[in-house]
Amino acid sequence: MTGEPMLDCRGLRRSYGNLTAVDGVGFHISPGETYGLLGPNGAGKTTTISMIAGLLDRDDGEVTVDGQPMSPQAVRAKAAIGYVPQELALYPDLSARENLMFFARLYGMSTADAKRRCAAVLEVTGLTDRAGDQTKKYSGGMKRRLNIGIGLLHRPKLLILDEPTVGVDPQSRNAILESVEGLSGEGMAVLYTTHYMEEAERLCDRVGIIDHGKLIAEGTRSELVSLVGEGDRVRLLATGNLAKAAAELDGHPWVRQASATEEGIDLVVDDARSNLPAILTTAAAADAAVRSVEVTEPDLEAVFLHLTGRALRD
Amino acid sequence: MRATLLICGKDLKTRLRDRSAVLIGIVVPLGLALIFNSIFGGITGNSKAIALGVVNADRGAASARFVSGVLGAVGRTGLIAIHRVPTAARARALAANGTLDAAIVIPAGFSARVASQRPAAMQVIGNVGNPISTEIARSIAGSYAADLNRVRLSVATVLAAGGSSAGSPARVQALAARAAAAAAPVAVADVSAKSKQLDQKSFFAAGMAVFFLFFTVQFGVTSLLEERNDGTLARLVAAPISRVSIIAGKLLTSFMLGLISMFVLVVATTVLFHASWGNPVGVAVLVISAILAATGIMALIATFAKNSEQAANWQSVVAVVLGLLGGTFFPVSLAPGILSRLTFVAPQAWFMRGLGDLRGGSLSAVWVPALAMLVFAAVSSGIALTRLRHMTEV
Amino acid sequence: MKALWIAVGDLRRMFRARANIFFVFIFPMLLILVLGATFGGSGSARLGVVSSDSGPLGTALVRQLQRTPHLQVVPVTGAAALLTQVERGNVEAGIAIPPGYDGAVRAGHPVMVRYLARPDQSSQQLGETVRGAVARQAALLGAARFAVAERSAPSFGAALARAEQVSPRVPAVSVTETTAGTALFPSSLGQFDEGAWSQLLLFLFLIALTGAAAIIETRRLGVARRMLATPTSPGTVIAGATLGRVLIACVQALVIILGSALFFGVRWGQPAGVAAVVILYACAGAGAGVLVGTLFRNESQAAGITLLLGLGLGALGGCMVPLEIFPPTMRRIAHLTPQAWGNDAFNKLVGHGASITGILPQLGALALFAAVLLALAAWRLRRVLVA
Repeated sequence: MTGEPMLDCRGLRRSYGNLTAVDGVGFHISPGETYGLLGPNGAGKTTTISMIAGLLDRDDGEVTVDGQPMSPQAVRAKAAIGYVPQELALYPDLSARENLMFFARLYGMSTADAKRRCAAVLEVTGLTDRAGDQTKKYSGGMKRRLNIGIGLLHRPKLLILDEPTVGVDPQSRNAILESVEGLSGEGMAVLYTTHYMEEAERLCDRVGIIDHGKLIAEGTRSELVSLVGEGDRVRLLATGNLAKAAAELDGHPWVRQASATEEGIDLVVDDARSNLPAILTTAAAADAAVRSVEVTEPDLEAVFLHLTGRALRD
Repeated sequence: MRATLLICGKDLKTRLRDRSAVLIGIVVPLGLALIFNSIFGGITGNSKAIALGVVNADRGAASARFVSGVLGAVGRTGLIAIHRVPTAARARALAANGTLDAAIVIPAGFSARVASQRPAAMQVIGNVGNPISTEIARSIAGSYAADLNRVRLSVATVLAAGGSSAGSPARVQALAARAAAAAAPVAVADVSAKSKQLDQKSFFAAGMAVFFLFFTVQFGVTSLLEERNDGTLARLVAAPISRVSIIAGKLLTSFMLGLISMFVLVVATTVLFHASWGNPVGVAVLVISAILAATGIMALIATFAKNSEQAANWQSVVAVVLGLLGGTFFPVSLAPGILSRLTFVAPQAWFMRGLGDLRGGSLSAVWVPALAMLVFAAVSSGIALTRLRHMTEV
Repeated sequence: MKALWIAVGDLRRMFRARANIFFVFIFPMLLILVLGATFGGSGSARLGVVSSDSGPLGTALVRQLQRTPHLQVVPVTGAAALLTQVERGNVEAGIAIPPGYDGAVRAGHPVMVRYLARPDQSSQQLGETVRGAVARQAALLGAARFAVAERSAPSFGAALARAEQVSPRVPAVSVTETTAGTALFPSSLGQFDEGAWSQLLLFLFLIALTGAAAIIETRRLGVARRMLATPTSPGTVIAGATLGRVLIACVQALVIILGSALFFGVRWGQPAGVAAVVILYACAGAGAGVLVGTLFRNESQAAGITLLLGLGLGALGGCMVPLEIFPPTMRRIAHLTPQAWGNDAFNKLVGHGASITGILPQLGALALFAAVLLALAAWRLRRVLVA
């Protein structure tokens, strides 16, 4: 495995009239990495990935996919990408099998190869039984699965998913997330855009936070969270000498705040996970009997809030 | 190239499944041709001999000369069918109910009056719904009468110079004989022209086919708009194929749909209705040129529309106006003045003209109409192609 | 009242698409214009005439032809153009009077006038008419020549003048003409009249049929079900759907009638009669449209069927080719369509100046069509909406 990134984009810029939708976005994705583009509606996620997938002309910037430069005319770069658009992009009058065969051959597979891959994708998406029915007769969930399946047909090196779970019922959503996890486990690079923080946290190795067309922060989850600079909240439900316990706890260097409440002790600490045993030991030593512990770590929503002053979900 | 064919194949599969393309492209024009055929199949129209009744109440030489000589000669050409009728009343009844188109009645004593230089008259009874046939019958009788009158007038003209003496009967007879012997000063020579016209059945078959062609080809480029709305255009653009191949695939779909439709219609109307389209090579050249013209024009219109519904509306308007102007419903070329020139703004007119000329002439007659249609195709496609690039932007 | 609102909504939706304005109002007028210009004043055969440099006698011959009834003389320049016109069918036949005709006749030379005809009957039959006109002039010319030959006149011109002078006094053999049978179309019809009412009928029905698409759209979008969810009875929904189409048809008829009267001078007959025909006919069309809309689920399929039915029934019913040239069997079959009855009614109103009482049988037939179609439509619509 070379050190070459699977996707490298720099300085992407695109305007629509007076509105600048994407302003200088750049990031890279390594092979096998899952990268999340997290931002609220209208942040420029779809425009960015449209440029990356070669659907849209760039006003400025460069995109390189698997070492090939990308443009609307770049046939070789496009062959490395599997694209799953946000809206369902299926031919309603064709069956699932016909849809898949069409796209497989469009991506250059031989008929024999195409047949094999179609069967495999139908299997994976659980549509083998209904493969001969026209897709207009499918349920919403089936259509979603096929929508993703088409993106996987040609075994792309980079899979781009544009907000695949918007408007999807919880069950299907979970199934989608599981399959994406599986794919990245198989070594596929994935670019995943979403405005749901939980998905980014669950799936992505690295996350880029995008707002108003700019990439305002990027990194692993913990890197991003550490930008916030707030510690974890720990809430102890306890009885006993709470004031003393709070004071003792405050003595630790990694405790930022400790205050006794009616029901227990509220703390703000650095890295609650590693320091939890020490908290409990200190509390016990200070004659406080701890009944339950609740740890709330800052999350990406907190990061967004910290960086932009606005909530991620409006 | 491969992508173009793949996209065309997928589109054709979809369209043929949709059945609306089959309806518009084949069922409707064929159905209409069938209806027209049943209406016109019974009408013998152009190729009917005039049913002419003859009542000869006279028994003289002049009437006999007319009936067997003059009428007989015309009857032998097949232009009229002579029916002997016993009485004038019967002839009138038959003319009234349309059995006869017209009748000529020679009253008793006609020949005697002719011989004695007295006024004589023949009577023509015509069916009121058939004025042209009536006029032709009148002309036949009139020619004979005029020839008789020529002799009388000749004699009278000479005698008029001679002052008061009306002339002795002997002189009159001699003059009459010489006048009768003189040849008519003006003769009419028949020259045959070819027919560069489609017969009625073929006219309707061709007219319907080319009219609906402009609807059939709409399904090609308009589907580009549909795919844009449905989201599948993004998939096509994301795929490792050139944008040109997407456009070419759509245009090819239009062409193929048009080709299938026209082929079926030409064959079906020939076999079922005995329409005669003409020399197959000539027909093929004209048909292909027409399909290209139709594809180009409809594609051009689609590039100006925002969605497929708007495209379909505008295309329908243009298809209908061009079809009307182009003489697919009825031959507009008969209209006087500007209309007969305006018709050539429509490629349909060139198609119909080409078929007509092919009927009357050689294969080379199709080149000019075909070329005209190809010019339509080239210009419209050229402009459309520049605009289609914008359409593939997602 | 609610039905009226549904109907108005229908109207507004329809005219939002500008193409519909074209098809409902403009295209019928266009067709009337082109039809009238092409076929108005038929009942005459067209004869192309080339007569350049043929002299006064040639001109006289042309005038003779122009005086021939049921013959329309079309001047053509040049023999080549004449041949083309004849071959293409733009004129039925052609006659070429040679240059120097005048001089040749006066000099006593044999003169030939060429008659061009296509191989088909009607083209060739017209030759007799040409011969007749030539024969009439030839009588005078022959007499003049004879006089010259008999040395009875100093010159041809003098002889001709004398012959013309003498001619009225010579007892002649003449041909009288009478007609038999009743005219289906009295000659008082204007150039655009017949085309106008037949196109009106064609398009009223065609546009009413396109209501099918609207019905399907309403069903597809679920609006129909939503309408039923409101306190609106199915009967009112049905009434609204059909009333809408009848309204559209009446508006269309009004525009076409007024427009054609204004621009083309078309006469329509007694207003009460016209109104009765239009309303009953529109009801029949509306019923048919709604019925088709309940039989199909796909708008583009319905569009194809609509075209087929609208144009097919129109053709069968005498809207494209007048009923009187139909063979008798076909004319009977034609009367299975409302169009045929409509055509008959207008023929009586315009051609024979009938009043509303004169067209009662036709109105009765139209009413029957309307009743049956509306009943069927209502029944189907109820089943489909509630199902």
